[in-house]
Amino acid sequence: MSQTNRVSGGLVDRNNVFKFKFDGRLFKGYPGDTLASALLANGQRLVGRSFKYHRPRGIVTAGSEEPNALVQLGRPPHQEPNIRATEVELFDGLEATSQNHRGSVKYDLMAVNDLLWPFLTAGFYYKTFMWPKAFWEKVYEPAIRASAGLGRLSDKPDPDTYDKGFLHCDILIVGSGPAGLSAALVAGRSGARVILADENFHMGGRLIAETRELSGMSGLNWVTEVLAELGAMTNLRVMPRTTVYGAFDHGIYGALERIPDHLSSNRQKPRQVLWRIYSKRTILCAGATERLIAFGNNDRPGVMLAGATRAYVNRWAVTPGKRIAIFTNNNDGWRTATDLVEKDVEVTAVVDTRHGLARATPSGTSVIMGGRIIDTNGRHGIHSFTLSNGHIIRADCLAVSGGWNPNIHLTCHQGGRPVWRNEISAFTPGNNLPIGMTVAGAANGSLGLAAALIEGGKAANKATKDLGFSESSYTPPTTEEEDVEVSAFWYVKESRKRSWLDLQNDVTVKDVHLACQEGFNSVEHLKRYTTLGMATDQGKMANVPALAVLAECTNKSIADTGTTVFRPPYTPISIGAFAGRSRGNDFRPYRLTPSHDWAVENNAVFVETGMWLRAQWFPQPGETNWRQHVDREVTQTRKSVGVCDVTTLGKIDIQGRDAADFLNSVYANNFGKLDVGKVRYGLMLREDGIAMDDGTTAHLSKSHFVMTTTTANAVSVFRHLEFCRQCLWPGMDVHVISTTEQFAQYAVAGPNSRKLLQILIDPKFDISNEAFPFMACAEITISGGTPARLFRISFSGELAYEIAVPTRYGDALIRKLMAVGETFDVVPYGTEALGAMRIEKGHAAGGELNGQTTAHDLGMGRLLSKSTDYIGKTLSKRPDLNCENRPTLVGLRPIERSAHLTAGAHIVAPGMEATMANDEGWISSVTFSPTLNYSIGLGFIKHGSKRLGEVIRVVNPLEEEDIKAEIVSPHFFDPEGERLRA
Amino acid sequence: MPDLMLKARSPLHRLELTFDDVVIKEITGRDIVSIATPLEGQEGLSTAVASAYQTKLPTVGQWTGSLIDDAHFLGMGPEQYFVVFESSGSQALDRIKSKLGETGYFTDQSDSWVMIRIGGRKSRIALERICPIDLHPNFFPKGCVTRTLMEHLSTIVLSEGNDHFLLLSAASSAASFVQVLQRSVENIL
Repeated sequence: MSQTNRVSGGLVDRNNVFKFKFDGRLFKGYPGDTLASALLANGQRLVGRSFKYHRPRGIVTAGSEEPNALVQLGRPPHQEPNIRATEVELFDGLEATSQNHRGSVKYDLMAVNDLLWPFLTAGFYYKTFMWPKAFWEKVYEPAIRASAGLGRLSDKPDPDTYDKGFLHCDILIVGSGPAGLSAALVAGRSGARVILADENFHMGGRLIAETRELSGMSGLNWVTEVLAELGAMTNLRVMPRTTVYGAFDHGIYGALERIPDHLSSNRQKPRQVLWRIYSKRTILCAGATERLIAFGNNDRPGVMLAGATRAYVNRWAVTPGKRIAIFTNNNDGWRTATDLVEKDVEVTAVVDTRHGLARATPSGTSVIMGGRIIDTNGRHGIHSFTLSNGHIIRADCLAVSGGWNPNIHLTCHQGGRPVWRNEISAFTPGNNLPIGMTVAGAANGSLGLAAALIEGGKAANKATKDLGFSESSYTPPTTEEEDVEVSAFWYVKESRKRSWLDLQNDVTVKDVHLACQEGFNSVEHLKRYTTLGMATDQGKMANVPALAVLAECTNKSIADTGTTVFRPPYTPISIGAFAGRSRGNDFRPYRLTPSHDWAVENNAVFVETGMWLRAQWFPQPGETNWRQHVDREVTQTRKSVGVCDVTTLGKIDIQGRDAADFLNSVYANNFGKLDVGKVRYGLMLREDGIAMDDGTTAHLSKSHFVMTTTTANAVSVFRHLEFCRQCLWPGMDVHVISTTEQFAQYAVAGPNSRKLLQILIDPKFDISNEAFPFMACAEITISGGTPARLFRISFSGELAYEIAVPTRYGDALIRKLMAVGETFDVVPYGTEALGAMRIEKGHAAGGELNGQTTAHDLGMGRLLSKSTDYIGKTLSKRPDLNCENRPTLVGLRPIERSAHLTAGAHIVAPGMEATMANDEGWISSVTFSPTLNYSIGLGFIKHGSKRLGEVIRVVNPLEEEDIKAEIVSPHFFDPEGERLRA
Repeated sequence: MPDLMLKARSPLHRLELTFDDVVIKEITGRDIVSIATPLEGQEGLSTAVASAYQTKLPTVGQWTGSLIDDAHFLGMGPEQYFVVFESSGSQALDRIKSKLGETGYFTDQSDSWVMIRIGGRKSRIALERICPIDLHPNFFPKGCVTRTLMEHLSTIVLSEGNDHFLLLSAASSAASFVQVLQRSVENIL
């Protein structure tokens, strides 16, 4: 099909031809076209089907307010549904399909819905699908789901990439129409840092869609001159294809920039960037959106906005029809007639709802003042319309103007409420704008061109002055005077046919009447009941006319009726843009331990612990399941020696004259008398007396300690210490700093651990049991002078050490430990073996320190210092935290040794029903003990320590498990601690 | 015991990536020591720094330089500084203690951070994709330092002027961090 609807002029490049497909048919267009303009140029009026009734629909607007022309772009996996054809910049090879139909768009089987419309009115789904109950899930839900939505996702991962970013400016100008460009000129000339953003790919707003002159030159030429000046400014950033979609706190705005979406090649870069813009001042110059008038069958393809019709003719050199009529309630509609005639397009009639004198019209054009259109005629597009007096007028396009709504959305995102202005019959920005925002031009209700040019400049001068920049000289271009008055005419009452208010959601005047009749007469209820103003266009065209109908129904003024709350985003943002680059391996960063590379080389299987990747176990040839790996690692460690990377444990350097007092205050047990060269276990309580975290703290020198924390609580404990230091005890001379990253730390455990380390540790350091007993620490050197720290502490219950070296030596040290350890058949062990050994030993960890347990519950009541004051001391004395029937820590082992305990299972007495009322406790940690050769667990049970030897039931209703188990000491392995002191 | 010697390794193995208009390079051979001011010890510390390094301690958000050991003092927070300086044969802590004595509490942070310099005409544009801080030279000129988050990772940014920035981020996540930087550069070129 050739471009039969092209006319002369326009901002399209006729030297190049783009080929594109719509619904499989090949079309041609030009650079500068949108998909919508190119389709219209090719005479394609039917572009989709409506949401509920599947009525034929065509292009209505020329901008982001488009309710009808929603298409699917691209092919799977790039396919993207619900894209406004009016916003799609044409490129060579573009492929688009219409959506929401079964069969072709022309012959849609689902159009049967339109015949059933009396049963599908507003809120029908609240009244139907109730009987029979058996149909709910098997019939109704599948049917509703199949009908819901418009376009379809490809169901494949999106192969495109997205990014995010941060921008900063003194002044953000939203919109590049006459007000925006004036503001940009003034702000830019002042030297302020300025961002000028516009959702369109061509800056200029309505100026490039009109034929108005500015100081004797065309709007386009003026725009071109201004853009040239702005482009030369290093302090001004021009961002076309960028939608500022939300106003957030503290002068922060969200913006979406579309980068290669309009290119047929070079689409490797992120297609969209979601910007967070920090601005000191914002000037909203977002213009206004024209609205329809509701009358019978006003949704037929070929019925469109008068301003859009003008834009297609002037900017894109496309006439939407061969014989066009105008239906208007304001003077702006007449401008469309003038412009069409200038392009030699036949204007068959101008129907003005107002009475009075007609404006000048070309010969051959019928003028009907005080006219009403009650119906349109045609099947897949309008071919004529009927007036209330019965006359039928031929027209294949009906350009309608019901007035203009200022685009006030961003003024409301911080809770602002708009105010109604009768003279333009529209809501305008209220007084409570987002801090730092001013509004200029049509967005401010100043619908005239001259006013927009002046307001933009003034707003910019005020902003620059506020910010301390010099005032700029700016003389707005002169323009002709214009009358922007609008008559409040919302719908044709004489029409008996369905009159459409919201084209996207198939909401009619009658639907609003029905909602009101049924009691949904507040604006928010109306929205939910009828779906008015939902979905991609958010009612940009529809809301105000619908509010007017509601106001009429409720005998209120429109001002009193109010609006729904505008929320971000202004236009739809793809989920991919919100995700940015946070996908796949980039979803979040990883922290790698110093032994990571070595662990990879040795086939480690990793587990995520927070951001850390830790080796979970190290499979060996011949082993077929993880239990075999773990059992071997535990057994070999207990038999000889094992090495585990424990770098992830939090390490906090504590220094100062008051460091010991500080520790006495943050730990519940006494640290006042910890000798230099010694380590002590420490238990930290929260203010409410519940256990917070545990670890060890080593005393390295007089005013220098090193605290370790659990991996999970490394950050929270550090934060807690900083809070204590800065806020609770600012008079203490103490400082803390994290050294978690500074040291690679390895646990070396097992009867041969000392022998192994003695090979590496420089000879001058004696680590014999006598010289370096259990809970000793020292700063030493290894491997001929490498600085290191050695701690004789044990999480496994074995003779064990933790050795720390600066992280740069971490990789070398693990390799050296494993190399020199070959003599002892050293084994690396992962987190699972680590956990198994600590459960065998009965050490509390995350499962036990779960935010519910006290020191007494954990069997550590005797640790609590009586002589010092510490965080949590007072509230830990609350009676309910010290009563005897609180669950306390015990060990559990199954009576039937082949049975397996489950963490999270509950403890119930034999013969009792497994109910909450009979719940006596829970299992917090379990493991299969390779040492004991059966499953063991730690748990909490009422009167725990007094019930050793008692048989209880471990019940896990989720897995239908009910196992008899014996209550035992939590110390399954070496309860006297002989091995770790060896 | 030569066979027992431990060989040091930098977090990124001295990585250097060169793009059009942007260079990303891991900086090695420099140590970092944190300095905390003892209670009522600010004057003593300032005097020691002035005497040993012939420079002033910076205010928070600024850094000062010294020709001695090419030291940079970074004002990280109230009473908290980092000093970044050329590595020598001795340990970092010993080096600082030999200069400043007992005037502060010192902690070696050399292995805690990966140091990456990003420079070039488009380095600031690349950083726009990940850095919430305004790095425009009018607002973040040479001599400024700040701490921020880039893609969830804590980062210290130091302006060296002429579109060159020194970035310090946690050593354990160095691989992720450089990947973030690399992706940012690739996305804008």
